Amino acid sequence: MDNAFQKDCLEILASKVERGEISRRRFTQMAAMFLAGAPALLRSTGSYAQAKELVLVNWGGDAMTAYDKAYGQPFTKESGVTVKMDGSGPTEGAITAQFKSGKPSWDLLDVDPFSGISLGKQGMLEPIDYSIVDKNKMRPGFGWDTAASTYFFSYIVAYDSSKFGDLVPTGMADFFDVKKFPGKRSMYKWGAAMWEAALMGDGVAPEKLYPLDLKRAHDKIAAFKENVVAYWGGGAESQSVLIDGEASMALIWSTRAQLIEQDSGGTIKFVWDQGLISPGALAVMKNNPGGKENAMKFIASAQTPERQLEMFNLLGQGPANPATDALIPDDKKRINCVDPANMAKQVPLDMEWYAENYGKAFDEYTKVISA
Amino acid sequence: MNGKSTHSRKLLLLAPLLLFLGLAYVAPFLGVVRWSFTMPETGLGQYAAVFTDPLVQSVFVRTLRICLIVTAASLITAYAIAYVWVRGSSVQRALAEFCILVPFWISVLTRAFGWLAMLSNRGLINTWLQSAGIISEPLALARNEFGVIIGMTHFLIPFAVFPIASAMRSIDERVLLAARGMGASRTRTFWTVFVPLTYGGMIGAALIVFVFALGFFVTPAILGGGRSVMVAELVYLRIFQSPDWGLGAAISVVLVLFIGILLTLLRRFIKPAHMVG
Repeated sequence: MDNAFQKDCLEILASKVERGEISRRRFTQMAAMFLAGAPALLRSTGSYAQAKELVLVNWGGDAMTAYDKAYGQPFTKESGVTVKMDGSGPTEGAITAQFKSGKPSWDLLDVDPFSGISLGKQGMLEPIDYSIVDKNKMRPGFGWDTAASTYFFSYIVAYDSSKFGDLVPTGMADFFDVKKFPGKRSMYKWGAAMWEAALMGDGVAPEKLYPLDLKRAHDKIAAFKENVVAYWGGGAESQSVLIDGEASMALIWSTRAQLIEQDSGGTIKFVWDQGLISPGALAVMKNNPGGKENAMKFIASAQTPERQLEMFNLLGQGPANPATDALIPDDKKRINCVDPANMAKQVPLDMEWYAENYGKAFDEYTKVISA
Repeated sequence: MNGKSTHSRKLLLLAPLLLFLGLAYVAPFLGVVRWSFTMPETGLGQYAAVFTDPLVQSVFVRTLRICLIVTAASLITAYAIAYVWVRGSSVQRALAEFCILVPFWISVLTRAFGWLAMLSNRGLINTWLQSAGIISEPLALARNEFGVIIGMTHFLIPFAVFPIASAMRSIDERVLLAARGMGASRTRTFWTVFVPLTYGGMIGAALIVFVFALGFFVTPAILGGGRSVMVAELVYLRIFQSPDWGLGAAISVVLVLFIGILLTLLRRFIKPAHMVG
């Protein structure tokens, strides 16, 4: 998905600093830590992680700081293993290249679970060792053979409340109903969750979605095309489409929806009804230089509720460990995409289906929206 | 100094450029050519797809249509600007120069977002038209083909101005005086003497704008509303999103060949020195 979600997290973090939600001092501290680590990071480029060291590859920018603060430093403190953040982006292509080189320099990878599953099937990833990583500290169904869920976000309906009077959309049928909810729509350029939304909008029951009837989904999307003003490719774009009043309703990331609600002074609202939950995951490179066991221990340490709470505060990501939900203050529970009350209204994306079908489905989706 | 050594000296001066182009463009592009014949399997399958796949076809057709419209719009606007720039009063000249150079210096990204601010539903134009009571609902000016055409035309006008202005400058003033002396009106002198003398510059400008427009990526990506409006975006999608790079590679090769043919034509019609003014 162009790693678009991961990139958006960085923008969100930066904007939180701008708004003063993260103090300048704290930001400076984080920046200082990051800068202090930078020379070591540079030196590590091209070399191999040492035994007492793990290299975590994510999508760069402020997420590096967040990962370091929430997960890296506490892990180093308790285990003595340094965790270096590398923001160069673990794309499927890059992981494949690392694997084929025979001497990978990466240990931990921040990947979409469906990438984790398909790369795992190709033997490029270590199986997750569930004797170290605790499956009970995960939401049921979100621990895969070669990827462990570490956070969540959702694709949800956000709408301009000034356009609909007292009416509130209650699901995908309303998203696709321009008579009841007039105005243009905006959907996701990279297809994920849009098929599910179209099928539910077409009357398919949430529990009967998979395997997806792509033909039916694309017919629905094709017929709805003229109502879509823009297919947003990144979070900032989804924000401007709603704030500028170009769309009266959009399917967007829950992490963004919170920001848009604030920015619009509450005019743009969002609902969890029939939202589509999407997990993020960590995977371990096959024959990783820092040792399989340490990598598994790191994943296990990232299951600590307090550390996941930190990530929730920094990036708005829903925690992977259900025990974290309770630590979230009551006024923030509303924006936690996996809070029991919110999760009950939503449907998780089936990562196994995506691992099998995403490439082809996305090709078809592009044809439908661009033709 | 004999001619041969001057020649080899010139080649030596060109060497860094040739080396750079070779390493940065030619060598990687050969890799792309190879993909187009080998991914996912060896053969011409991807080229068959380029010429039969309905999506590729519709994007190619749309790209050509947009490029033609943009070329025509840029040419007409640039002609007027160039005329003022070359033949206007000193104030007019300064103004024209300002209008040509300022957008020329601003990044393509900034300009695309600027147009979004102008053309979107709550943008300047719609807000103004609505408050003036001329329209009740905002016009769909951006996030569609229309927005892409506006943004691209704006970007490309300066590139059309230079060759046209160059052609205008090289017109011998006495020819125009002669026409007037023979009793032709100002209008007639303009249409039957002045304009034909600038045809070369116009053809050069048209080809430059058209070729440039074919490869546009940023402007359509921002102003086109996320659909793959133009070929460059389609290539990006195929390479970055699809595990099968062959089709994206084949589209690139076809595009490069097409541009190569156009450039050959360009060289026929006009000396390179003319095109840049």
